[in-house]
Amino acid sequence: MRQLSAPIFDIQRFSIHDGPGIRTLVFFKGCNLHCAWCQNPESQDVEPLVAFYADRCNGSFDCLKACPQDAINRDGFRINHTKCDNCLACVEACSRSALRPIGEHMSPEHLFATLVADLPYYRSSGGGVTFSGGEPTLYPKFIDQMLDLCNDEGIHTAMETCGTYSPDRWAPILKKLDLVYFDLKIIDREQHKAATGRDNSQILANARLLVETGIPVEFRLPLVEGYTDDRENLQDTADFLKALNQNRLHLLSYHNMGETKIDIINGSQNKLGLKTYDATRFAQIREWFTERNIEICDE
Amino acid sequence: MNVELQREHLLDESEWEPSALVMKLASDHTSAVPSLGAERAIHYTEYYKRNTETSAAMTKAGALAWHLQQRTLNIHEDELIVGSHTEHRIGAICHVELAGYAMLEDLFRFEKRKVNPLHVDPAAKRKLMRSVIPYWLTRNLAMKAFPLRERMKYLASQSKAKEFTINEAGGIAHFLPDYGTIITLGTEGLRALIDTRLSDPGLSESQREQLAANLIALGALETFADRYRDLAQEQGRADVVELLTNVPRQPASSLHEAVQMIWFFQMVIQIESIDQGISLGRMDQYLYPLYLREKASGRFDERHFKDVFCAFCLKLSEVIPLFSERITPMFSGLPNGQALTIGGCDSDGNDASNELTFMLLDVLDKFKTRQPNWHARLSSKSRVDYSQRVFEVIAGGGGSPALYNDDVIIPSLASRFDAKQHLWNYATVGCVEPALSGISFSSTDAAIFNYALVLETVLLRDVLKPRSKNAKSICTMDELIGAIESELRCQVGRLKTWLDGIERANKDRHPVPFSSMTVKGCIERARDLTDGGADYNASGIQAVGLADLGNSLAAIDTLVFDSKEMTLETLALACKNNFAQEPSLKARLTAMAKFGNDDARVDNYTGQMVTLFDQVISEKVNTRGGRWMPGVYSMTCHQTMGKQMSALPSGRSKGEPLADGIAPTDGSDCLGPTAALNSVARLDHSRLANGINLNLKFDANTVKGTKGPLLLGGLTKGYFTQGGMQVQINVLDPAVLMAARMTPEKYRNLLVRVSGYSAYFVDLTPEMQDEIIARTRQGAG
Repeated sequence: MRQLSAPIFDIQRFSIHDGPGIRTLVFFKGCNLHCAWCQNPESQDVEPLVAFYADRCNGSFDCLKACPQDAINRDGFRINHTKCDNCLACVEACSRSALRPIGEHMSPEHLFATLVADLPYYRSSGGGVTFSGGEPTLYPKFIDQMLDLCNDEGIHTAMETCGTYSPDRWAPILKKLDLVYFDLKIIDREQHKAATGRDNSQILANARLLVETGIPVEFRLPLVEGYTDDRENLQDTADFLKALNQNRLHLLSYHNMGETKIDIINGSQNKLGLKTYDATRFAQIREWFTERNIEICDE
Repeated sequence: MNVELQREHLLDESEWEPSALVMKLASDHTSAVPSLGAERAIHYTEYYKRNTETSAAMTKAGALAWHLQQRTLNIHEDELIVGSHTEHRIGAICHVELAGYAMLEDLFRFEKRKVNPLHVDPAAKRKLMRSVIPYWLTRNLAMKAFPLRERMKYLASQSKAKEFTINEAGGIAHFLPDYGTIITLGTEGLRALIDTRLSDPGLSESQREQLAANLIALGALETFADRYRDLAQEQGRADVVELLTNVPRQPASSLHEAVQMIWFFQMVIQIESIDQGISLGRMDQYLYPLYLREKASGRFDERHFKDVFCAFCLKLSEVIPLFSERITPMFSGLPNGQALTIGGCDSDGNDASNELTFMLLDVLDKFKTRQPNWHARLSSKSRVDYSQRVFEVIAGGGGSPALYNDDVIIPSLASRFDAKQHLWNYATVGCVEPALSGISFSSTDAAIFNYALVLETVLLRDVLKPRSKNAKSICTMDELIGAIESELRCQVGRLKTWLDGIERANKDRHPVPFSSMTVKGCIERARDLTDGGADYNASGIQAVGLADLGNSLAAIDTLVFDSKEMTLETLALACKNNFAQEPSLKARLTAMAKFGNDDARVDNYTGQMVTLFDQVISEKVNTRGGRWMPGVYSMTCHQTMGKQMSALPSGRSKGEPLADGIAPTDGSDCLGPTAALNSVARLDHSRLANGINLNLKFDANTVKGTKGPLLLGGLTKGYFTQGGMQVQINVLDPAVLMAARMTPEKYRNLLVRVSGYSAYFVDLTPEMQDEIIARTRQGAG
């Protein structure tokens, strides 16, 4: 039987914004939404790949000499991702760190060894581990095992999800979590589908179910100009929360750092050309929700 | 004493601001021009020229008295604490008979130099030129410490300070005067102690002379204080006259008097010998009985006390070290190391924080001054409200207080000193060094040793140019470490010869009869501090370049002994040539595992170097009968030493700085602060009894708001529970981020808050970096 593993594209230790205390944030690779504004475009595909930072390249083509698959392009984007088998010989050969692997298959034990290294800090700060992505719910079996390992050590656990999971498969796993961050992006079904490529009825149903089963949940709304911040969507979001008796919401500001990352993976995502979300507008929206008795939590 | 902490009687920390009077004092202080205090050099020279005393102690005491009789005095407007350690408001004193002589190489540059310019009075400059410099040319400490040939070698070595720098050559410093006792005795009480000793018929002639010199020095301080009182009288400053009526002769009857008395002693100690690391000890503890007395009698006025303390901090900041441009890069930032310790435990090991602890933290929070160096003791038993307040103050910026872990330091000192009943009362000295309060002369900053140079020597000399054909080549890791050990012993031996010479020269020619009265044991033994008079003695020797060694050993093990990709000769040659022919080798070495990333293999090599350093250093005994103690801090010597070194197998290029203190090398820790702290804590800190220095940096936005103190507290406690001894947390201002923009490779580990998350600053686009800088400006401004 194949050893259980999941593709992880980043592990951020000393993460302090995604749950209480000092945390380690685990980014799973692969996502079943394709949001127009995605800020982690390198996380969308499940498969690990090699990214190319053109500005660091000195044109030595040491990568070309090292590559056994003939997957190095002389012109244009350096890596031919179709030919590349991710052996990382080019990464090792590059003296300028212009090539970098994104994503690595890890076993639960391997990942846990990294997580447990910060146990003293989780304990001293009331922190723990947060699973993020990508979309972590693509890996139920893996996360289930991770939660057992964490719970055995008394580590606080949280997960960030876009809500696209199968409720039956996830019901027993969600119970093992201490906290769920649940993204509400667009409440209107058609607009949601247009912006993310997927219908949101499952998402909204999962949100309702989560609240009903009493699992601690924090809802989040990413503010993206022209996509999620129109009056209708704000109203819909407020109504949705009210219907669930929820009076807290986290607002996340869009920032455009993801756009530079489209180039390094030669991604197909369109650049929106948006600036970091306007602070004044952010404050107005915060005010708007506050007037409706929805507390905005600071990130 | 077990008194319940009663914080409810205190002002809320948000309620208190320094008074207008104190803010005015601060602005007067800031506008004063830092100047060379030449009078001491001039007066000492006058005294020495006509001196007929037979003993060095009498000469030094006489010179001190002569100087304090005629030093120009000033009492500035509205001052709450009076007295300056030079004739200027902000002054750098020149201890001309010690290393001060060498600093005068800048006499014609002091005013023009870019960093730390100093005003020099033209008349004083003429006097220095005509009579002072010619006299000391052949008579300063370095000239007298060694015979000619040794002396030339010593001077050549110390002018570069590549192998080590002997700081004790600057004079006698880095100790903790017993201020807790002094404020209860006054000079009269000290005199009574000395008189009692003098009545002992069994004293030798030299002991009698020592005590006689003590009395002259004591009288010198009294005269100095009397002159201030007379001046206050002349100026119609009734408040100052009243303040100086009781102290320094009688025991302090109020907190204000105690602080003024401490300042008199602090000044005279720093006038007598070099003004480095004269540390204040546990002020919240030894002032506490006076506080209780004032409170019980209804006299205690919290606002007044805090103002007095602010004024005291300004006084401490008036002292600036005299460094020439050549020396400044080794110790930049005008360090004086007047360390002030707060918190910690009582003799039963219970938390001893009290109301004064909180008041002093308020002063630090609201009134930031260059000195003192604020240090807070923490332990697993610390009160929650105390540690919380400490982390609030740190999150507010300024990098203070630095934090010390009792749970590591007390056992570490226990393994060094047979002093069980005193360990709980340790305080910090200078930058980071723990020492026994008021009873020890640990000379904690005796020397700073370039440990990384040992490896360079092994590679460039033993490997590339074996001295004999029969020299055994190095074929295993154990043999390499053996070679490092024997070279370390050799270089440490050289340091020992010279440091011993300096210690003897200080004892024979430059004893400190004044300072000796302030440390327990010297009066009882009628022996000088320089002659082992203190109850406990030691010498602190610091290693520089620890992480560079660990990283280099890991790289050598991987490439040479493990994969056998290259020979040690090839690697050594590449280092010698600064990787000129092998840029890809440099890139490869740089990309290899580094100390600071929670990688047990590299960390363990680094740890092995700690053990070796401890073993070699700790077997040495100084001329005062005290053992050497290893520490790991570098001031800014990691830059000056690194500048003179070749490339290393860690991938560090020729001339680049070595690692700062016990920290990972610049930019090599890429997994965040928890991983870096895990690496540092993997080293055995209890071996490093003379202290370590670890700097952590955060931008102001990461630690703002209510969560900031919790995060810093969580980080520190997580590190301390794993055996971390010390950490200093800096909350950065935008200037540092600007520097990070210019040289990103030096700031790889700099975390900043972006938007709902933190990122490495260097990973941001230039635009984003600008945005963060602008935001930090707002946050910090």
